Formats: sequence, structure tokens, C-alpha cells
Amino acid sequence: MKISSVSFLPAKTMPKYLTLAKITLEEYLVYRLNFVLWRFRSFVSFLTLFFFWLAIYGNRGEFLGYQKSQMLTYVVGIAFLRSVILGSRSVDLGGQIRSGELTKIVLRPLGIFSFWFSRDLVDKLLNIFFTLLELGIVLTVFKFPFWFPTKAETYIIFILLVILALFLYFFLSFVISAIAFWTEEVWATRWLFGVIFLEFFAGAFFPIDVLPIWLQKIIYLTPFPYLVFFPLKIWLEQISRAMAIQAILVCAGWLGVFWWLAKVLWQKGAKNYGAYGG
Amino acid sequence: MNSSVVEVKRLKKFFQVHKKEPGLVGSIKSLVARQYEEVRAVDDVSFTIEEGELVGFIGPNGAGKTTTLKCLSGLLYPTAGFISVLGFLPHQRKSEFLRQISLVMGQKNQLWWDLPPLETFQLNKEIYEIPEEKYKETLNELITLLEVEDILKIQVRKLSLGQRMKCELIAALLHSPKVLFLDEPTIGLDVVMQKKMRDFIKEYNRRYKATILLTSHYMGDVKELCRRVLIIDKGKLVFDGQLSEITQKYADHKLISLILAKEVDQKILNDLAKVKEFSYPKLVYQVKKDEVSKIAAKVLDQLPVADLNIEEPPIEDIIRELFTGKNYA
Repeated sequence: MKISSVSFLPAKTMPKYLTLAKITLEEYLVYRLNFVLWRFRSFVSFLTLFFFWLAIYGNRGEFLGYQKSQMLTYVVGIAFLRSVILGSRSVDLGGQIRSGELTKIVLRPLGIFSFWFSRDLVDKLLNIFFTLLELGIVLTVFKFPFWFPTKAETYIIFILLVILALFLYFFLSFVISAIAFWTEEVWATRWLFGVIFLEFFAGAFFPIDVLPIWLQKIIYLTPFPYLVFFPLKIWLEQISRAMAIQAILVCAGWLGVFWWLAKVLWQKGAKNYGAYGG
Repeated sequence: MNSSVVEVKRLKKFFQVHKKEPGLVGSIKSLVARQYEEVRAVDDVSFTIEEGELVGFIGPNGAGKTTTLKCLSGLLYPTAGFISVLGFLPHQRKSEFLRQISLVMGQKNQLWWDLPPLETFQLNKEIYEIPEEKYKETLNELITLLEVEDILKIQVRKLSLGQRMKCELIAALLHSPKVLFLDEPTIGLDVVMQKKMRDFIKEYNRRYKATILLTSHYMGDVKELCRRVLIIDKGKLVFDGQLSEITQKYADHKLISLILAKEVDQKILNDLAKVKEFSYPKLVYQVKKDEVSKIAAKVLDQLPVADLNIEEPPIEDIIRELFTGKNYA
């Protein structure tokens, strides 16, 4: 039997998701301090990484196959892609399943993916805005040469992969949260996923190609490097067009897998949902 | 052909609950070998509800009332049995179905906690695709009925329980649902507020011909609102019928209450029949149905009676007796 609320944005229902986005924005405005502190945290972790690599390079012009400006561009890129790709409000889903708060969403004529995605959109736009501001300040103060691609097609491929990665992360995060339908406990998986796999294998600390080849090969099979590492490699024009296209295809493949998985888990989970409390 | 709005046939909903002994040792034990227990929250329940009916659902805590409501609204997937609401299978949660129902839970908040209620209303307007004109009209009507003009722009978390419940109701009713499930709508409200809620529910039922199924701990709610009641206990439906029938069916006694004209020795009173209550000048006897006239005559003959009434026992008492281990004949 099919549960019908899995749809993704039927065109005439746009206003409801726009209103949802508006409400999400208003929520952020209620918790301004919360948001400021979150930005502060992100900024500090960016600066830490930035100074770390600055110190490692010292007077060296090149290290591990990266020019100093390339590596620093990579680090700036991490900060930017964190706000574009690595962030989804669907982390709240786990808690909502536990507390029974999900009830207010499943009993409305709403598409569950569209619901979370419209909330994500606001989250991302706000974060992107402030990240650009912060990065702009740092780049101006330190006056280091930021790497811009030389070819126009690089921009197109970069944007394409970023969009795919954004959706890939969305469904990945949704899948992890949906596990709460069965475990009623989501933090362990989220921590393992969030810290070990995501940050490390995505290349959100350092470029993956500084690792041993055999490990790289394994990591490239996972969905994670397509979230941060490959988009930045494309930006830095360090991989061939063929490899870039391959990355896009693999990413799209993973996106398909996780979209499907998210759908299935949601349908099965919704059956399992206990609607606790009350 | 069946025109019932709600149709439930042999509904069962069982939960697997894992048991854990208290304390750390219990936690470790349950980690190694989990013990599951099957809880039969709803066990073979059948009933139908017609359009426009206002039905009360009563039973002690954990009887399965809320679980049944959750199954009816599509929140829970039934273990077995058949449910049809407005011709839909609720658990499929089709948009056309969800657009015509509402579930309000007294203990649950469905408003957006950090924002004023008006925001939730506007979101619901979009979610349910309510036309602007209709939205304004309904909202104004509900606001006036429930007297909440001044709190619409205050953050929900700063509202009192009563204010919040009123707003919950408004949010649930904006799309004019044909079927309304109310789970403990008056819980935690003071007497004045309870009364207002009841009046409102009654009025809503009358005005819109909405079908309403409500659960409550308070007999008052049910007595005042519902002609028909469903009584559920330990997952089983034990009574389905008019409220007045409960008394006839289950009460094996009546009450003779009198006002004494002057004080009488308690011993004499006790000799006549079973005294249920005595505080001078009021005296209440509990008497078997078939002995009522005999004892009433005796009482009038032997006691200085200023006033005498023969009454049915209060419905609360009958139901309490029902729930405390009596057989449902």
C-alpha cells in the first residue's frame, strides 16, 4: 500500500512551501542569538583551519601537491560549501519522531520532502549570506590570492555538481534521521555519520588526495567525497573534464539511491510511527 | 451502499513494547536480551458513525481511546481490521482525506511554538489551500466565537493553556473539516473554560453538520455534548449506545434522597436501608431497583421526612463501577 505524501513540489502548491519558508525565517529571527552563535562557531572553525594550513605552509609555496593559494582556496571553499551543502534541518526529524511532534506534519496535506526542503532553503540562504560576508572580510584582511577558475565551463560543472551534492546531502541526512522510526535514538548514528564519515570522507578538513591511494579509492566509492572534495577539485581545475563528468555521474547515482532509500524508509517508517505521547 | 462517515470493523492495534527493569542492571539486561511484550491497545473494536453525529468516547486511562482516534485519523497503521473515514482508508493519508479531517490533541501542541498563533493560521490557510475570502470569514467567526482577538499576535509559548487550546481549535478548524477528532479537548482547563469549549464544540457540530468524535476523562463533557457514547476498556468496546441507556442497563440500584425535618438517631437510619450519604439534614439511601417502592414507603412511615426524591444514580458512579472490575453483562 502506498502512502501518498511523498510527492515533491507539485507546481500549484508552491505558495504553501513559500509560506513555510517565510515562517522558518521568522523562527530564525526569534532566535537571533542562537543564529549569531552558530555563525560564530562556524567562523571560528573556519579560522582554525585557515591558520592551521597557513602555519603548515609557512614560507613554502607548495605542499602535498597544492600551491599555497590553492590550499587556502580549498579551505575557504570548505566554509562556503558547508553552508550550501552540509546543512539540513531534517536533523530535527529524529527528535520529532521520538517526541511525537511529527504528528503535526503527517496529518497535513504536505509533501514531507518539500516540507523539509523549504525549511532547508531558508537555512541555506541565511548561512550563505553570512558566510560570504565573513569570507569576504577574511580575504580582504589577509589579501591572499584567491583561486578563480580560468575556464568558463568550470563554473558550469561546479554549479551542477554543487546542486546534485545539495540534494544528495538532503536525502542522506533524511535517511539518517528516518532511522529514528526504528531505533528511537538517533544521536549515535548521526554522530558517527556526521563526524567520522561526513567530515572526514567528504574532505571537509583536508583534501582527500593527500591520503594514501588505496584509501582514496575506497572513499571515492562512498557518496561523501562528492559533497565537498570533488566540487572543490573542479573549482581548482585539478581534475580532468572526464573525471569531473565521472564525479557528476557517480554523484547523480548516489543521489538516486538515497532519494529512493529516503522514500522507502519514509513509507515504511510512517507505518511504524507510534505517534507517542498524548 | 453505506453512507456512514466512519466505519470501523474489527479494528486491532497492538504495540510491541520493550520491558525494562528499573535501574542500571535492568538497562544492561535489556541491552543483552530484550523482552518484548505485546500490548493490545485496541482489540477487535467495531462501530459506525453517521454524518453529523457527536459521539463521546470514554474509558479509563490506557483503555485505547486515543489509539483508536489515532487510527481513525490515519496517524497509526492498524494491526488488523478495516477503517473507512469519508470513504478513505485513513492510513494512506491521501491529501483529499487529510483536507477533510482534523485531529486535536489536548496534550499536544500543533501550533508553531515560537511564533504567534496568527502565523500558524496563515500557514494552514496555504497548506489547506483555503481561498482568501473563505479564510477571512472562517477566521473571524472562530475568533469571535472563542473570544481570542487580543492574543493572536502573542508568541504561542507565552499563552496560557486555555488560550492555547482555543488557538489549537481554530487552527484545526480553519479548513472546515467534515470530521473532527478531539482527544481530551478540555484537559487542564478550568471550569469556566471547559464550559466555553463545550458550548463551542456543540455549536460547531450544529452549525456545520460536522461529525465529531471526542474522548474525555470528564463525564461532564460527554454528558453535556454527546447523546451517543462508546465505552472502551482494556481495548474492548463494552458499550455503544445512548447515554441514557447506560443507567438502565448497568445500574441495579436507585437512590432515595431525603431531607429530614428533625434529627434522628443514626442507628435507626441504618436499620432501614443502606445509607450512602448522611449529613444532616440530607440523607441518601442506596436501594435495589425492585425494593424502591417498599423502602420508600417504609421511610415515609418511620422517619420525619421534609422532602423525598427517587433518583437514578449519577452516571459517573455507574461508569466508575463498570471500570472497577464489574462484568459487562
